[in-house]
Amino acid sequence: MITLTGLTKRYGGTTAVADLSLTIEPGLVTGFLGPNGAGKSTTMRMILGLDEPTAGTALVSGRRYARFRHPLREAGALLDARAVHPGRGGRNHLLAMARSNGIPRRRVEEVLGMVGLSDVAGKRAGTYSLGMGQRLGIAGALLGDPPVLMFDEPVNGLDPDGVRWVRELMRSLAAEGRTVFVSSHLMSEMERTADRLVVIGKGRLIADAPVTEILAGSSRRRIRVRGPHPESLRELAAHLAGRGVTADEVSPGELLLSGTTVESAGEAAHRLGVLLHELSPLEATLEQAYMELTAGSTEFTASTGEAR
Amino acid sequence: MTAMTETRTATGGRLPGAVAAEWTKAWTVRSTYWNLFGAAVLMGLACLQLAIYTLNANGNDDPSDDKGVVAVGTIAIGAVDLVQFVLIGLAMLLITGEYSTGAIRATLQWIPRRGEMLAAKTAVAGVIGGAAGTVLAAAGSLAALPLLGRWGGFEFGPWLGDVLAVGAYLALISVFTVSAGALLRSAVGTLIVIFLVVLVVPASLQASGITAFQRVADFMPAVAGAAFMRGESDTYPPVLGLLILAAWAAAALLAGHAALRRRDA
Repeated sequence: MITLTGLTKRYGGTTAVADLSLTIEPGLVTGFLGPNGAGKSTTMRMILGLDEPTAGTALVSGRRYARFRHPLREAGALLDARAVHPGRGGRNHLLAMARSNGIPRRRVEEVLGMVGLSDVAGKRAGTYSLGMGQRLGIAGALLGDPPVLMFDEPVNGLDPDGVRWVRELMRSLAAEGRTVFVSSHLMSEMERTADRLVVIGKGRLIADAPVTEILAGSSRRRIRVRGPHPESLRELAAHLAGRGVTADEVSPGELLLSGTTVESAGEAAHRLGVLLHELSPLEATLEQAYMELTAGSTEFTASTGEAR
Repeated sequence: MTAMTETRTATGGRLPGAVAAEWTKAWTVRSTYWNLFGAAVLMGLACLQLAIYTLNANGNDDPSDDKGVVAVGTIAIGAVDLVQFVLIGLAMLLITGEYSTGAIRATLQWIPRRGEMLAAKTAVAGVIGGAAGTVLAAAGSLAALPLLGRWGGFEFGPWLGDVLAVGAYLALISVFTVSAGALLRSAVGTLIVIFLVVLVVPASLQASGITAFQRVADFMPAVAGAAFMRGESDTYPPVLGLLILAAWAAAALLAGHAALRRRDA
């Protein structure tokens, strides 16, 4: 379990993380989402004691990370896969890591096997591909067999097989009762992997809820209506607009409705005698829900004067 | 995972674990071996050169520069002026190599207490610098012995004292270097500061001709270290030279520690 209480980090005048309070529960994969610069990495670094909070606390299993005798056996983390000396082999990197926390040598071979790096463990880490570096970082996170695991963008640079492997690994780690906290910007990946989502923007908590709840809360649950007669569809659109429904004609013969249900749209079409070929609900994607949640809190918004 | 219960029974960690990790790291990068190789070559060449100077001085027509019989240990002590910079490079890379690659964040994740991390790094650097200094001084001085012939003096006791003094000097200089690296983080910055403190500033002060400046130079780390190794100084007994050097190393260590504690990784 990870417990953040009023966690705040300021650099000079800018606030990277603002009064963040939340609990990341064991047995679940908790996704950590937010635009670039939202404070995800800073939060993770504060949990590991790498950055000192300006205010508030970050506790791992009820204690500060740096207070543990064997911190790697309490929390494992992949923060930056490039934070490895390029001149040292993968095996030796893990061996030094194991010695620092009194972890037996055979565990190094175990985790190398788990991430599929046994064959290249003698090569210098600087020669590894991005994906291999990512696997080495994951091996390091697993080394101490910790009950709490954190991964910052773990699928970066992995091929589709690797992405699926990471997804299954996260799921199985959570199924073993561990706390799994994963940041990612890949919404589709989070939709499949995470049980719960924590969304932050500009350092502030925007949402902390189960994935299903966040999807259900999206105001963009829309309904697609198609018919062979564009004219009569426009009549339907006008009729619905009079009842507070948003109806957009996306192309002749196709409407997108929001603010209504499939049932009432169908009944209205029946009353007006409008012939329909399709009346279907569009599932909100996590990406849409996320975009709605974080609108206005992106640090680096591209200017899109024309598009808006 | 089945390993969970097994790994939990293992002991270790804290400072002994940190030292073991730093020791492993020091011997799993090539730069350590290259530096030691370079230091050995340089020690051999410098000792031969100094032996030849001694032969020339004793053999020429000018009696004023005669050195007479020279204790071989002092040949190795003379070579330290040059060799020390290779071992300073070795010590420096143990910490600045991690800052330049970002590996320091991994290290602090394994060993989150900053004081333990720095203590482990300085201990490993001190042991490697001290051991390398001792072994190289012994080998270099013995290599110079046959070349010096009748002008070479060898008595086991004083020779051992000279060789161990070189080891102690290089151990403390290594601790000073790692601490400066913790304070400055960059290799270039650290190297410039070490060059200034060890070489440039004392040389400028000594060349100034102003007595007060020359007295200040006596308290610079390398000058104090040389006074300790050579067992001679105008201003203080040799053992004070060792204490002055140790004080520099301790001050750098405290400054490095203070910076590490205050700074985000």
